[in-house]
Amino acid sequence: MNRKGGALIESVMMMPVLLSLLIGTVELARVFYTYYTLEKVMYNLARYIGTQQGVNFCDPADPLIIAAENYALTGSTATAQDPVVPGLTPAMFQIAIQRYDPAAQAMTPCDCSAAGCDTSQGGLPPNFIQVSLPDGYSVQPLFWGFRIDPFPLRPTVTVPNGGT
Amino acid sequence: MDTRFPICRSRTQRGASALQLLVILVPVLFGLIGFAIDLGILYVVKGELKTAANSMALAAAQQLIGTDVATDAANAAAQLTVQNGANVGNKYGFNGLAIGQTNGTLDSIVPPPAYFAAAADAIAANGNGGAGGVGGAQAKYATATVTGQIPLVFWNFLPIVTSRNLTVVATAVAGISAPLCTACGIEPFAVATIDQNDTTNFGYTLNELYSFTYLCSGVPVPAPLAGAAQVLNYVLLNRLDPNAVVYPDEGSQIFRDGAGGLPGNTSSAQACFVINNNELIWANAAPVACSAAAPAAVVTNALCGLDTRFELSANPACQAIAGFDTLSTIYPADTDLNSYTTYTDYTGDGRRIITIPIVDAISATASMTVLGFRQFLVMPAQGGTAINPDDPNGRFVAMYIGSVAPVKQGRFDGCQQAAGPGKVVLHQ
Repeated sequence: MNRKGGALIESVMMMPVLLSLLIGTVELARVFYTYYTLEKVMYNLARYIGTQQGVNFCDPADPLIIAAENYALTGSTATAQDPVVPGLTPAMFQIAIQRYDPAAQAMTPCDCSAAGCDTSQGGLPPNFIQVSLPDGYSVQPLFWGFRIDPFPLRPTVTVPNGGT
Repeated sequence: MDTRFPICRSRTQRGASALQLLVILVPVLFGLIGFAIDLGILYVVKGELKTAANSMALAAAQQLIGTDVATDAANAAAQLTVQNGANVGNKYGFNGLAIGQTNGTLDSIVPPPAYFAAAADAIAANGNGGAGGVGGAQAKYATATVTGQIPLVFWNFLPIVTSRNLTVVATAVAGISAPLCTACGIEPFAVATIDQNDTTNFGYTLNELYSFTYLCSGVPVPAPLAGAAQVLNYVLLNRLDPNAVVYPDEGSQIFRDGAGGLPGNTSSAQACFVINNNELIWANAAPVACSAAAPAAVVTNALCGLDTRFELSANPACQAIAGFDTLSTIYPADTDLNSYTTYTDYTGDGRRIITIPIVDAISATASMTVLGFRQFLVMPAQGGTAINPDDPNGRFVAMYIGSVAPVKQGRFDGCQQAAGPGKVVLHQ
């Protein structure tokens, strides 16, 4: 009986270690899953904008940009309710446009003027679209019921613009 | 030992068995945790590299305009999508590792995209490192291969793992699509088919120079420009946008159409042409007598737009366009202003390529049916580096090039086309 109790104590001592491993694994995997989903959402957002016509990149309230954000978040252009990543809102995205500068052999950010990439002012469409999360998407894994400090995930995606 | 009570032996060793269990369990646990964490990291990295590969392939394919040097431009465009100098290119490893560089322990390799003439070849060779590729003039499809290394955290402790860093590869194929039924962002110049039964070239000859001449009535028939004996009458199709907010003036609208194709518009009726649709001539661009000193002002404005493909247009005839000072600075000139007799020799960035509707017969009064879209390379005036917007018959020279360059936008619905320009799409 004495030795049986010892095995029980050993098991009880091992349990927290095993459980921490299990919980930590699940929570970390959840962070990875969230990051992967975020990355795909942003790729879809950039690609959707890049295949549309007459997008006004300089106006965050442009109907096409809102439609693209809704589409990326929910699969429907009509609404941003119930996004695939909980708590992700269209306002968190930053959509930057870039032009290829042949002289510098580099991408340069476009300003919102006709000579930049402002198509609403008559400018030419940009060459590249970059979508980022300037403030990040905050994740807060749970560990043993305690909340550890939240940290932001910041994927960035650059795709060429195919639209006019 | 006590052989009479075998049950007692197991009881004496039970304390040790928990330790044994733990020893056995640790590799198993690490393997299992590895599934969750290492595999999770690998999926994240694979996703990021796939995004980078997609962007590279799309950027490269957009530059494949069928010239000998097209692949150079495509390589440069592809490189830009992973360029990290200004912190704008795609990265991997939770957006922390630069693609195409090594940070000492982790290598990432980005070979230039490989190019193919057929989609099947490109898909078959995808990830193959570009074996069997073709040169610029035939290249229609680009395959991008992006390789990145990522360290293993838990599987690293398993004895079967030989390398600490695992290499993840992502590939993508992008290229020209099927011929478009709706082409957007193209130029509203229209010419008639020469041979309606020729579904590939409508009777036009590749690499032939044509003297585009605005349709006019009476005599004398305008002479062709030097070096381009065949006269080709054209008209401007109506794309006047009555609701335009930016540059609503008719002259500046047609200037923009000539300079950069139809501007993007959420109304595709304004920004696109559709095969089998009927089109009318631009209302204020009706043909005048061939003997008149100049064609309609709208035609001159359109040529001013075309002229920006060569130079910062300073022709006095263009100064009357509303907002001309701003507009003329928006459109960059082509990087190659030379005249050619073979299209594949052209080394520019495609600014001089115009994609125009081919109609059944051009008419000043009746509606014209769009049969397809084909491309021409605008040529500089003989002996000069620009075209002359002031020309009395709206003439300019352009080389027929078929349908080599991808257009920016379009759709496939509603028709069956054997040939014609397509747009760039991801094939894999």
